[in-house]
Amino acid sequence: MLFVRCLPTLSQLVLSSLLFLFTAVAFVSSAPAADSLTIYSGRSERLIKPVLDAFTATTGIQIQLLSSGTTELLNRLKAEGDRTSADLFITNDAGSLELARTAGILRPLNMREIDRAIPSQFRAPDNAWVGLSGRFWIVVYNRTMVQPDQVNSLLDLADPKWKDKIAIPNSGSEYLQAGVSVIRATYGEEKTRQFLQGLKANADSQVYQKSSQIVDAVAKGQVALGIVNHYYIYRHLAAQPDAPIAALMPDQQEGGMGAIMNVAGIGIIKSTKHLDSAKLLVEFLVAQAGQKLFAELDKEYPLHQDVRADPALMERKNFRAALVPLTRLAELREPTLALIEQVGLR
Amino acid sequence: MATIRQQLASPLQLLALASASLILLPLGYVTAQALSADPVVWRRLWATRIPELLFNTVSLAASVAVVTLILGVSTAWLLTRVEIPGRRFWEAALVLPLAMPTYVLAYVYSYLLGFGGPAEHLWQLMAGPQARIFSPHSFWGATLVMALDTFPFVYLLSRSALLSMNVSFEEAARASGVSRLATLWRVTLPLMRPSIAAGLALVILYVVSDFGAVSLLRYQTLTYAVFQQMTGRSDNSAASILSLLLVVIALIFLITERWFRQRSRFYQTTGRYRAPERHRYGWLGTLAVIGYLGLIVGAAFALPASLLVRWSLSPEALTTIDSRFFGFIWNSAILAASASTGGVLIGLPLAYLACRRPTFLNLSCLQAAYAGYVLPGPVAALAVLILFTTVAPVFYGSALILIVAYVIHFLPAGLQSLEPALQHISPNLEEVSRTLGLGIRETWRRVTLPLVRNGFVAAWVLMFLQTMKELPATLLLRPVGFDTLAIRVWMEASEEYYQLAAPSALLIVLLSLPALVLLVSKDWRAA
Repeated sequence: MLFVRCLPTLSQLVLSSLLFLFTAVAFVSSAPAADSLTIYSGRSERLIKPVLDAFTATTGIQIQLLSSGTTELLNRLKAEGDRTSADLFITNDAGSLELARTAGILRPLNMREIDRAIPSQFRAPDNAWVGLSGRFWIVVYNRTMVQPDQVNSLLDLADPKWKDKIAIPNSGSEYLQAGVSVIRATYGEEKTRQFLQGLKANADSQVYQKSSQIVDAVAKGQVALGIVNHYYIYRHLAAQPDAPIAALMPDQQEGGMGAIMNVAGIGIIKSTKHLDSAKLLVEFLVAQAGQKLFAELDKEYPLHQDVRADPALMERKNFRAALVPLTRLAELREPTLALIEQVGLR
Repeated sequence: MATIRQQLASPLQLLALASASLILLPLGYVTAQALSADPVVWRRLWATRIPELLFNTVSLAASVAVVTLILGVSTAWLLTRVEIPGRRFWEAALVLPLAMPTYVLAYVYSYLLGFGGPAEHLWQLMAGPQARIFSPHSFWGATLVMALDTFPFVYLLSRSALLSMNVSFEEAARASGVSRLATLWRVTLPLMRPSIAAGLALVILYVVSDFGAVSLLRYQTLTYAVFQQMTGRSDNSAASILSLLLVVIALIFLITERWFRQRSRFYQTTGRYRAPERHRYGWLGTLAVIGYLGLIVGAAFALPASLLVRWSLSPEALTTIDSRFFGFIWNSAILAASASTGGVLIGLPLAYLACRRPTFLNLSCLQAAYAGYVLPGPVAALAVLILFTTVAPVFYGSALILIVAYVIHFLPAGLQSLEPALQHISPNLEEVSRTLGLGIRETWRRVTLPLVRNGFVAAWVLMFLQTMKELPATLLLRPVGFDTLAIRVWMEASEEYYQLAAPSALLIVLLSLPALVLLVSKDWRAA
């Protein structure tokens, strides 16, 4: 009772809290400063913030970052339309960027810096989105539990002998969707269905939200194998060099489909009011300095021809990538999702 | 008199109608979208996901209900009927788990029980190097975490039932030669049944709408699946179908709870004449009781909290405590304060009208306000989002939209303390004030409001507490640069950066404590 008595009177309470309410609204709807960019990012904050901080340090342009799921942010951009406060969209998947482009969210760019730095297969025809770094969807295995010659292709992972021994990302993950799209485009519907059914049975409850968790589970020996983007393996090894894990580049056998590649990329939102600053950021990210940061921090393959990948990574010229163009990932998405749902992946 | 009351009611009535419709809109939106979805989607979901999700959700709710029933009733009985040293301490300590959001407990337990974690090491020391314990990322893990987190609901309600129960019933049974155990079984427990049922219904509602724990423990329930569908798919028809199922399940439990609450009046017509006697156990018995209570409080609060403190003091975690961190605190505080204020302002007319003028319309408005309970966070978020883009696009991307989602979602929590506070005031008091010459407004200001103030404050604090912990709606609706403490915990914990998640988690727990003080202070319901 004493506690309650000490509280301000009711009207004071109401007044002060109304004040709260209005400040909260005013606080947020106030327009961002001129030298500031708002970025919706589908990449995990840990992987993108250091690069953006470097940009702020060189240009003085502040960055407001909203990190969330790629598809979720794409949905959000569609719903927000021209009213969005976002100036740029960064994702971990070319398919999502292409979907954003076809939805008319992104702005075509005519910049010599892009043409010079990034090969044309890694960007949209009109440069509405530009790839920044390449990643491969590969197998991570525990060296004490698996011999590397036991797996040649991703499709081998559907073999019942891996029952309860593999970990996979959940079906909302854009890498998984892109990977399944590539497999479907290469091998057709039926074979992909069988693969997914086998994968589902083998993984059972080992379905993870984050790739870093998959690598962790493999390193601990909780499972023997996992499918992840390559850089999660090398980032884990950089932090814990003694971890008993290794990367396995799948589908390199004679006549195999090649490793599944995707890019993380960026696009400028059509309705941006900070076009010059936004262009400056794109320029920074495709230039050698920016590309080097991606290579060093994130262990990805830089797309700039003159920037070398981290030496710990498999040499890029030593393996083949699958032949499905990145821009096709968008049109392949819907039927892939239907298949994933039919199979009932989590 | 009647006409005067009518005058007072009409603007209030409009307000109540407006609030009720605002709250019902999201539910309507979800239902419409689910029912208009392509039958192919329905069939596909029935053939693939729905059976598994339904089974998982219902079985988790059932197992958590059983565990909380045992924990909640046994602790309440021990604390009201047995004399143990430090009783006041235990009474408070048993409520502490409510300050621990499910996702925090989930992440602590996924470390403790996880593969290669401390619990497994300990077990391997005893049972050999190959021994494994059950994985926390499973049905049992989810049960453990949810039960430890929610049993205080059952404890609190059982305890108040035991305290307000007329002891004469038990004494009459004992005097008629019924054994102590049989009295417990045949008299005490049946008398507690309405309270226990209400507590269990709360627990079950909590479990079916929980997102934080099941997402971190990777246990597939309907709510988690809705979030996954929303974040992984470009159209929301599958998400809305799953939501509709969820709403139906939750509705069943909400109605059950209401039904039992109504029946409880029947049982508790007689006041209590004196406090029940507390038995005194021998030292062995006392020790066993304390060990039991200590184990529960340790597992549900002390151990997780001390781990959070340890992690927060680690060098990795200390580097994250910078100006950005204080920004997260500010965001959490301002969002929660705004939402709870909005909730009280909207809830008061609804509750007042339902109490004073229990017409069909007014009662329906009040029931509508409870809709938030059956809308899982992700669905409430989506519906509010669409609502705003079509009705008031100006507010898009502002915190307002998130606050509206919070109000819809947490209004029931507030109403549950506003409603009884109003019910306890006799209308005679207002009538006396009117006959003594005070105007309508004056009466409202000087009689009614002061009388409901405590209920008001309790409602505000409860909504504040819940909002601050909220996760899925915040994830989906937060404006740019508006990460809250809860978001930080989830982002770090979902990548298993336990240390980095700890400072935010610890702070949420600490900020929740004052609200709990209010909850346990005996007078909080008294008007």
